[in-house]
Amino acid sequence: MTARLHVDVAVIGAGPGGLAAARAAAEGGARVVCLDLFAAAGGQYHMQPTQPESRFAQTPQVLSGRDAARAARSAGVEILTRTEVFWVAGTEDGGYCLSACQAGAEALSIRATTLVVASGAMERPLPFPGWTLPGVIGAGAAQRLLKTGTGALPVPGKAVLAGSGPFLMAVAQTFAKAGQPLAHFVEYRRPNPRATARLLARHLRKLAEAFGLLRDLRRSGAERHFGHIVTRALGKDRLEAVEIAPIDASGRPDPARVQRIEGVGTLAIGYGFQPVTDVTAALGADHGFDPALGGWHCIVDPATGASSRPGLYAAGEVSGIGGASPARLSGRIAGSHAAAAALGRAAPDAAIVAPLAAELAAARGFARGLAALYPPLPDLPLDLAPDEVLCRCEDVTLAEVRAAVADGARETFAVKMWTRAGMGPCQGRICGAAIAAELRRAGTRPEAAGFNRPHLPLRPTPLPVVRAALAAERGST
Amino acid sequence: MSALPRTAEVIVVGGGVVGLATALALAEAGLAPVVVEAKSFGGAVTGGSLAGIGAHMHGLPEYDLMRAACGLWRDLATDTGNPFEYRAQGQIGFILDPRDVASGETWVREERALGADCRMLTPAEASEVEPLLTGPIVAATFAPDTATVNPFLAARTLLRRACEKGARAFEHTPITALTVEDDRIRGVQTASGERIAAAHVVLAAGPWTANLAAMANVALPLVPRQAQCLASVRQPPDTLRRVISAVEDAGGVNSGYTQIQQAQSGQILFNTVTAPTATPPEAKDQIREVPPGFVVESIDMLLRLFPALAQIELLRSWVRFEAVSPDHRFLAGPLPVAGLWVCAGDNGSGYCRALMLGRYMAGRIGGGASLPDALIEQAGRLYDPARFGEVA
Repeated sequence: MTARLHVDVAVIGAGPGGLAAARAAAEGGARVVCLDLFAAAGGQYHMQPTQPESRFAQTPQVLSGRDAARAARSAGVEILTRTEVFWVAGTEDGGYCLSACQAGAEALSIRATTLVVASGAMERPLPFPGWTLPGVIGAGAAQRLLKTGTGALPVPGKAVLAGSGPFLMAVAQTFAKAGQPLAHFVEYRRPNPRATARLLARHLRKLAEAFGLLRDLRRSGAERHFGHIVTRALGKDRLEAVEIAPIDASGRPDPARVQRIEGVGTLAIGYGFQPVTDVTAALGADHGFDPALGGWHCIVDPATGASSRPGLYAAGEVSGIGGASPARLSGRIAGSHAAAAALGRAAPDAAIVAPLAAELAAARGFARGLAALYPPLPDLPLDLAPDEVLCRCEDVTLAEVRAAVADGARETFAVKMWTRAGMGPCQGRICGAAIAAELRRAGTRPEAAGFNRPHLPLRPTPLPVVRAALAAERGST
Repeated sequence: MSALPRTAEVIVVGGGVVGLATALALAEAGLAPVVVEAKSFGGAVTGGSLAGIGAHMHGLPEYDLMRAACGLWRDLATDTGNPFEYRAQGQIGFILDPRDVASGETWVREERALGADCRMLTPAEASEVEPLLTGPIVAATFAPDTATVNPFLAARTLLRRACEKGARAFEHTPITALTVEDDRIRGVQTASGERIAAAHVVLAAGPWTANLAAMANVALPLVPRQAQCLASVRQPPDTLRRVISAVEDAGGVNSGYTQIQQAQSGQILFNTVTAPTATPPEAKDQIREVPPGFVVESIDMLLRLFPALAQIELLRSWVRFEAVSPDHRFLAGPLPVAGLWVCAGDNGSGYCRALMLGRYMAGRIGGGASLPDALIEQAGRLYDPARFGEVA
């Protein structure tokens, strides 16, 4: 039996942006459902621990997430967790129909007049020699392991945290709070105290947070290597050692000064985030490419959160990586407008929304400043072996991708056709950045290379669930 | 990439399997063609194809041409070391309704009379050649020589081979005008404003061919039709061994169709259409999604035939646009503008015919002997673009 819902506003994602949007829409008088694939609302930022005695149970991030979910529910929002939206389509009356899989087995079909997509961000994996060895994980995944479950990394051995960007310090802070030893912290960029001070001087509210991050990085006990990069992960069947090297003036690692770290159990690696745009892209909204915003993102009007498609709104990281503050503010704006549009009202009260827009501009300004301090790396300055796997779903190697490019593949889609890179379960989410980097080497700009447009289903979904949800949708038209 | 040439002997417009096969045959005939593709090679109809290579249930008038077409694919696989996953999997035509048994028997009898190796199977025999086929079929046809190829890799092989033999190919090079003077084609103009002069231009752009012909004031009776397919996540090898298709009285795809097969990558590809819906002409220029009704029908048919697959996961879906002609055959041959040629009208099964049509076109344009005379005569009769009357 397929569950069916009919709402004014559907919100995809219950992170900071989604919860803010759902609450604002409900406060605007709309009937609202908010969907999230995790077991508890909060998203990555407010990640809720799964054990009550967790060291993170009382942290501000966890408590504020719980408060945000509670406030949304009090406003009348129905939050459905463990609910994975596998398809969204426009309906003939200009609304949206969402097809979802609940708890991995149950079909759910939702009709909504307007839709807010706050599906957040995912780590942007960049391949480096040895990146597919078991034991190499994303920095975000490491943080999730520490915050949920037993709060410890699952394998013995040293932990190394490497990559670039402010999020790396947040993960080091999580190590410190979890009491999990962190052996090495490897950041590609060198500190730039003067520029950092200038940025913080413009955003004084961020000062305490910044000092906290620095304090906890020291507290983690990690040996800190600024201006270094992991050049290789080594091991027979799983990770055993990591090699790091300092970055020279040309931005490349100095091969003469490679240092090997032995006895490594976990290498958590993070080179930033990319927006999760599968829903907005599947619906055909306009997307743009900006490295400072994480690459491809849904273009929205910051004053309303509206995308190029009527009735479709986007909030938070989907509209460009910026962190929790812009997510919350853009969520409130998008939720208010989505509710007004769904209820056929004029735009929401300018007295409420206009100050939010100003705050959002300031928060986005800070995010821009941070992105300038840690310019995202379009690819890693490392030479991969030809047999290094780029697409992990379909086992496509670098050599195969290069051969396809040499044969005339000039866009992501063409590489996918000829190599199968991006045809597996991740649908190009994991290998997309690596393929784009390879095309860039061959002279195709990322804007021209494009991205793999998502199709039904957005995630692999059991046939009976697909059938049940789509049959329900069909029955309602 | 090198710059567009100013002149060419022959320009082929369209870099799908038909255009690339035509380019290969022209290059083999020494005509050094230039291929211009609006987007990526093989990225439209070709890439969305299930690339079945077989003559079974495609009709008797075209049977000899189809057999020759299949043989050309087999030979290409042998000559190239088979980089495109050519596999003679065999084809099962399932019959669910007792009233359709006679139609299956007719197909088998008539094809056998022409030398085919096909036969009827009982349900028990069918589940021997396809162990998971345990659904309520009443009988089946079996054509053991039907093959499949990987549609992407086969197109890529044609492209590479054509270029090795002197063709030059340019992707992301849409054509915006055909230059005609004194009722003769003089060349083409690209979207970036460049001109290529040529004595011959072949329009092989699938469902976009009619739009191109209109640039030379030639009306072609080709209309786009939306077709679609679903793919599961990878399954173990030999989950499915054959190409599974529905037996239909009329053959082809007009009365609806089902095709199910496992790709070499392990994904199960499947589709079922019981009632084709109208496709607006502009649909082919949009990015379309599979309709929910199609998904429901396709899943129902897959699980009816293969109950053991009930818990597999759907991985992806895609839409392609076929070029449909009034009699469901290709239009291949000269158009009323001297030097302008057409090779389009796949009607949903162009992959199989591509190499044969390429040879035919190269023979017509270059004058060489590319196919046996009897087949050239047959193709001239069946594929003549003027068979529907004046097309200009």
